[in-house]
Amino acid sequence: MSKKETNLKISRRQFMRSTGLGLACAAALMSGALPGLLGKAYAKGTKSANDAAGAESIKKVLRKYFGDRKIENSHVNLKLPIIAENGAVVPIKIQSDLPMDNNNYVKKVYIFVEGNLNPYTAAIDLSPANGKADLAMRIKMRKTSNVRVVLETSKGKLYGAVKSVKVTIGGCGG
Amino acid sequence: MPKGIGRIKIRIPRKIKKGAVIPVKALITHPMETGFRKNKKTGKKIPAYYINDVNVYYGDKLITHCDWTIAVSANPFMSFYVKADKAAPLKIVWKDIKGGVYEKTVQITPE
Repeated sequence: MSKKETNLKISRRQFMRSTGLGLACAAALMSGALPGLLGKAYAKGTKSANDAAGAESIKKVLRKYFGDRKIENSHVNLKLPIIAENGAVVPIKIQSDLPMDNNNYVKKVYIFVEGNLNPYTAAIDLSPANGKADLAMRIKMRKTSNVRVVLETSKGKLYGAVKSVKVTIGGCGG
Repeated sequence: MPKGIGRIKIRIPRKIKKGAVIPVKALITHPMETGFRKNKKTGKKIPAYYINDVNVYYGDKLITHCDWTIAVSANPFMSFYVKADKAAPLKIVWKDIKGGVYEKTVQITPE
């Protein structure tokens, strides 16, 4: 099997098992901050040392969806496991105290997994009828990386949160 | 409908006060195949097959819409909230990329 393979969700587990790279990859983390338009607070998170050449950079992805708009790092509580034993099923919980009134509500929630080949994972359109902008889902993570959520209000404001999740593939956690 | 796909469970609280914001939990069986996996024996790629569109209707109004990708886990689970301000059916419709349509309705009856 080629080392350069890019099918990287569930089959990566098979690949890792067969070549024994699993532990080495999980350990390779490098801390850093995303520069520029995202601001220091929002840029918190870790950068994987072996970001595959194929993965779209999160900067590009965020620019594609939000241009140069500022994403406030507040009002969003993001819950994710610190270590996800199974990258194919990672539970994510998003909570926000932002209002859901007819004239001011969270109209869209974006979920991005930075380490995936296509970080855009899902988007949920909400309405005042939801009453709350809280959501929970289960997502796939190709490898240890940041998970980012961005909430867009009907007034055009953006709020976000980011968390780093370690993904162990095969074997026991850690 | 292929076996084991499109089995749905929707959970809402048993007692609902009028105007309360209630949690709705929905689960549907679906492989959410990414298109990256290979058949171990033949080496052929297993084609992508996943739910990409979800709509939630409360009464006759569309209140929530989801755009999903292959990065949503298999047998997708979702939890969201609904303001139970009226007695009306809550219908969830899932659509996959092969044209499969799966839906289920539960009745929201505030006391």
